[in-house]
Amino acid sequence: MDKSQFLVWLMTNPDMSDALHLLSATEIAQRLQAGTLTSRALVDALLARYHALNKKVGAFTYLAEPDVIAQAEASDLRRKQGKALGPLDGIPVAIKDNIAVKGQPLTCSSKMLAKLISPYDAHVIEALRAAGAIIYGRLNMDEFAMGSSTENSALQKTYNPWDLARIPGGSSGGSAAALAAGLVPLALGSDTGGSIRQPASHCGVVGLKPTYGLISRYGLVAFASSLDQIGPMARSIDDCELLLNALATPDARDMTCFDKEQRTSLPPVAVNQLRIGIPRGILDKGVGQEVAAATRAAIDFYRSQGATIVEVDLPSSDLAVPTYYVVATAEASSNLARYDGVRYGHRSAQATTPVEMMTLSRSEGFGPEVKRRILLGTFVLSAGYADAYYVRALRARSKILSEHLAALEKVDVILTPTVPTPAFKAGEKISDPLQLYLEDIFTIPANLAGLPALSVPCGKSQHLPVGFHLVGAPLSEKKLFAASRVFEAAHSYRHQQAPL
Amino acid sequence: MAKGFDIDHLAKLARLQLSAEEKTLYSNQLNQVLTYFETLARADLPPVADVAQVVEESALREDIPSQPLGSEAVTKIAPAARDGQISVPRVVDDES
Repeated sequence: MDKSQFLVWLMTNPDMSDALHLLSATEIAQRLQAGTLTSRALVDALLARYHALNKKVGAFTYLAEPDVIAQAEASDLRRKQGKALGPLDGIPVAIKDNIAVKGQPLTCSSKMLAKLISPYDAHVIEALRAAGAIIYGRLNMDEFAMGSSTENSALQKTYNPWDLARIPGGSSGGSAAALAAGLVPLALGSDTGGSIRQPASHCGVVGLKPTYGLISRYGLVAFASSLDQIGPMARSIDDCELLLNALATPDARDMTCFDKEQRTSLPPVAVNQLRIGIPRGILDKGVGQEVAAATRAAIDFYRSQGATIVEVDLPSSDLAVPTYYVVATAEASSNLARYDGVRYGHRSAQATTPVEMMTLSRSEGFGPEVKRRILLGTFVLSAGYADAYYVRALRARSKILSEHLAALEKVDVILTPTVPTPAFKAGEKISDPLQLYLEDIFTIPANLAGLPALSVPCGKSQHLPVGFHLVGAPLSEKKLFAASRVFEAAHSYRHQQAPL
Repeated sequence: MAKGFDIDHLAKLARLQLSAEEKTLYSNQLNQVLTYFETLARADLPPVADVAQVVEESALREDIPSQPLGSEAVTKIAPAARDGQISVPRVVDDES
């Protein structure tokens, strides 16, 4: 159904009781405010859909129905008393399973944390609660956010709603699949090298990796601390921005989180003033034919709207993937040293000495990709090799950052595909880690440089969604949203439904 | 760039016990990844890394006391606890 057909359909279905799952968060907020919808009715509809579809899609790993219903009723009561907390009040937000919610599992889809119940809320959860949002269930992911297909989850498989034989992307695969399947209107993901944007692209939804420092990482299980960011995922640009606004608040518990004075965002730019940079030769590098065609069509659209299209040079782009896998694994090997079987997480029943306890607990608790990355990170940091690998990678990271900042002096945004090819079949790349690492070739530079980046649905490769990727200067989120909103308004992708 | 590594030494550093199959598999895969990393060795790079540009740390936060997780919350999630404390296998041998 295209946009006009969808609007006609909306108008001829005033009841909407069986289609609440199609509404955007922005539309839900309007109805809640107008009193034509209650949070309880919305949640009931979503829970019915969860029961009908979650087994098929595998997005959620946990959902506490009584708690969700109680939150919805509390929201309805607040609204009735004229004390609604804002636009998100009464709207469900699903949470990736590496973000702490007090009293709920925090598994990171790992056997290591399978039994852990979080004793506290992450900063983003506190912020969502303060905004009245409903904390709605936990989403599958690659173990400790390491992967690009969600196949590394030790809990369950997640399937791409557009084609159940294919992966949803990863590591925030549960988040993207839940949105695409209409199981929830908003979701949180986390992004270390593309873990929000790559699954968003594969599932036809919107995902933002904010500027490093915009959102507190307090309560996000650490993978690679200098790269990790929590970010919003949604089915529309407006929804993504709505969710970001609730999450991006100062927090002294994360020393890299911007304080109030550091949060001045760059203003949006009208499309006829917009300067878009296209990295030279970007579509020649192993990009699928239909992905390249969809990207070219997006570029042509912007040109037709009066935007200026220029080629930019990012000569160190080829260094991004190796640099990332040195820096990320080095930080991961250090961060994951805390899983020693002592304070929380899995402890081996076989251990009789402290060293055995550490070694056996880790060997039993971690899956293959996590072990691989810990070993790689241990190697690049080890005596005799740290200068050749880790220190060189930091120098390369500096170079990648300066090249991006120089390019972003000349243009407002850099546009590329989000992923070179559409979602692949489950099992296709599981035995070849290097091939899987190349999924993130376009998304990794934004993490290395700490820049905001957004994936926007822009077409199909056969029956599979494809996204384009916008990167901007630090704190240019409003620019990214404004630029992509123009594209979204003129195309029907936002109203396309996965065939479930 | 230096290549090759001692998988047994690495596993020991990382506190991982690997089966013979795992050792072969990870050695092969890591060698493949390290070969791919060679582009880094050949690259013309700035003499020093200035990563502070990316990760800007805020000034120290205000020194305001806050309520930490109590011992009950902490021991509740510990694999083993006794008398409000986390217990582990014996660390020091008996003197006798």
